[in-house]
Amino acid sequence: MEKKTIVLGVIGSDCHAVGNKILDYSLSDAGFNVVNIGVLSPQEDFINAAVETNADAILVSSLYGHGEIDCRGMREKCEEAGLKDILLYVGGNIVVGKQEWADVHQRFKEMGFDRVYPPGTSVETSIHDLKEDLYK
Amino acid sequence: MNLKNKKLTDEQFFSLREEVLSQWPTGKEVDLQEAVDYLKQVPEEKNFAIKLEKAKKEGVTLAQPRAGVALIDEHIELLNYLDKEGGADLLPSTIDSYTRQNRYNECQVGIDESIKAGRSLLNGFPGVNHGVKGCRKVFESVNLPLQARHGTPDSRLLAEIIHASGWTSNEGGGISYNIPYAKAVSVEKTLRDWQYCDRLVGFYEEQGIKINREPFGPLTGTLVPPSTSNVVAIIEALLAAEQGVKSITVGYGQCGNLIQDVAAIRALEEQTEQYLKKYGYNDVVVTTVFHQWMGGFPEDESKAFGVISLGASTAALAGATKVIVKTPHEAIGIPTKEANASGIKATKMAINLLEGQRLAMSKELELEINVIKAETKCMLDKIFEIGGGDLAIGTVKAFEQGVVDIPFGPSKYNLGKMMPARDNNGAVRYLMTGNIPFSKELLDFNRERLEERGKYEGREVDFQMTVDDIFAVGKGKLIGRPEVK
Repeated sequence: MEKKTIVLGVIGSDCHAVGNKILDYSLSDAGFNVVNIGVLSPQEDFINAAVETNADAILVSSLYGHGEIDCRGMREKCEEAGLKDILLYVGGNIVVGKQEWADVHQRFKEMGFDRVYPPGTSVETSIHDLKEDLYK
Repeated sequence: MNLKNKKLTDEQFFSLREEVLSQWPTGKEVDLQEAVDYLKQVPEEKNFAIKLEKAKKEGVTLAQPRAGVALIDEHIELLNYLDKEGGADLLPSTIDSYTRQNRYNECQVGIDESIKAGRSLLNGFPGVNHGVKGCRKVFESVNLPLQARHGTPDSRLLAEIIHASGWTSNEGGGISYNIPYAKAVSVEKTLRDWQYCDRLVGFYEEQGIKINREPFGPLTGTLVPPSTSNVVAIIEALLAAEQGVKSITVGYGQCGNLIQDVAAIRALEEQTEQYLKKYGYNDVVVTTVFHQWMGGFPEDESKAFGVISLGASTAALAGATKVIVKTPHEAIGIPTKEANASGIKATKMAINLLEGQRLAMSKELELEINVIKAETKCMLDKIFEIGGGDLAIGTVKAFEQGVVDIPFGPSKYNLGKMMPARDNNGAVRYLMTGNIPFSKELLDFNRERLEERGKYEGREVDFQMTVDDIFAVGKGKLIGRPEVK
C-alpha cells in the first residue's frame, strides 16, 4: 500500500502538546507519513505544509476552546491554495464549554470538515477513519 | 547574553516601562502613583499575600478555582457565583489564550462575537483589552482576593494592568510560562520579561503594598516528575526574590501517588526556603499550592469527583497552603459555573474533614522526600556551575543542554530527551533521563523502580508505558497497565 501523508498540528494560539506528540507517534506507528507542524499553528502553516508535501489529509487539533474562531474559512483557504478535496479532520475540545454535540458537529461540518471528533476520541478511531477515507 | 540575575535598576525598569505601556491603548490607563494610592485602599481581606500568609500560620488549606469568560459582567457573575455558591476562598481570573500570545486584535474579535452570540467564545478573561477600567470593575464587584492565572510568555502589560486594578497576585514565571506555553520564545527573553513583572511587584513592595507571585507548578501537567517541577519553582522563586518579591507561592501538580505527592510538597517548601536563605533573601514568605490532577480526566462526572476528592485530600494531608480545584467537566473543556462550583464544594468538604491532619512521617515518605531533594540538588548544582554562579545565565544554558528537561514541552528551547513513566506503585520516575545530571545512585534508583513494574507487567520498560500512563486516569486507573484480553 502506498504511504499516505498527513499534516498534523494544533491550531491557533493553542499550546497543548501532549496529544499532538502522541498522535505523531501513533500515526507514524500505523504507517502514515506524518508531517507534524506542532502547536500554535495558524491555518496558513497547515496549508503550506500540505502543499509542500503533497499531503492527503490535514488533521487539526484544538484543545482550548477557540476552535470555532480558528477553523473558520479553512476549507476555502485550502481550495484557494489548490488543495481541492483534501481530507480535513478536526478534533479535541473544539468549542468553549459543554455544548450539544450534534450542534457542534453540524457547525464544523458546515465549515467543510470531513470528520469532526468529540472530546475523548481514541487515536484508533481516527486511524480507522483515515484508512477508510484514504484507501477506499 | 547580557541577562543576569540582578535587580533591574530604576533606570532600566522605567525605560522598559514606556515601551510596555505602549503595546496596547489600555496601557495608557496605568498611572503608577495613582495605582499605589488605589492599592493602599485595598482591605486586608482582599489582599492575596496577606490571606495566604494567614492561612500558612493557621495551617489551613485554601481552595481556589480557575475561571474566566470574555465579558466583564458575565465574568463578575461567574466569580461571585464561585464565591457564594462554591465557597471559594480565593478568586482567579483565568486569562484567554489570545491575550497569552499578546494578540489583542483577536481578543477584540472574541469580545465582539461573544456579545453577538450571547455566550463566551473566548476561553478566559481578556484583561489587557478590558484595561484598568474593566479590571477594577471586576475587582470592586467581588469580595475576595483576585489573581491573574494565564500562561503568558510576555505578561508585562497584563501585569501592569492587573496590579493597578487591585489584583494582588500574578501567576507565572520565565520558565513555567514559556516552556509549556510557547513554541518559539527563547528562555532568555522570557526570563527577562518576567524579571520586569517581578520588579513591578518589588516596586509595589517598596511602597508598602504586598503582592503575591506564584510560579506555575504543574508545567505541562503530564507526568512531570516532582524534582523537575520543584527545580523550576525554586529557580523562579530565587529570580523573583532578587527583584524584590516578598510573597511567593511555589506550586506542584498532583502526580497521583499519595506518598510521592506529599513528599513533593514538603520537599518543595523546605528546599525553597533553604535556597532563599542561602542566597540572602531572608524576608520572603513562602507558601505552597497543590494543583489537583492536571492530566486527562474521566468523562464520567462521578469518576471526576473521585479524582477531585483525592487531590483535595492529598493537598490537605501534605499541608499545602492552597489547592487549585478541577471540575467534573474537565474532560470536555471549560466548565459551566455550576460544574465549577461543585468542584470547589467537593474539595472543601474533603479539606474540612481532614482539618488538622497531616500525613505522618514514615520510612517511605522520608525516602521520597530525600530522593526528590537529592534529584533537585543535582540539577540546581549544575545550573549554578554552568552559569558561573549566575542563576539566570545558568537557567538559559540548562535548557539548551537538557540539564532541566520538561516532558511534553511544546517549546523548541526545551531539549525533550527526558521521558517519565510510573513505577509499580504509580509514582512518577525518570524513564529516560536524557542529559539530566543525576548521580549514579539516583539513576539506579529510578531504573530499579521501573524495572520492578516491567517485571510485574511482563513487558519492556519503554515509551509505550509513558503513553499508557498518559491515558490511564481518563480510563479510570492511575497506572497504564497492559489490557488483559
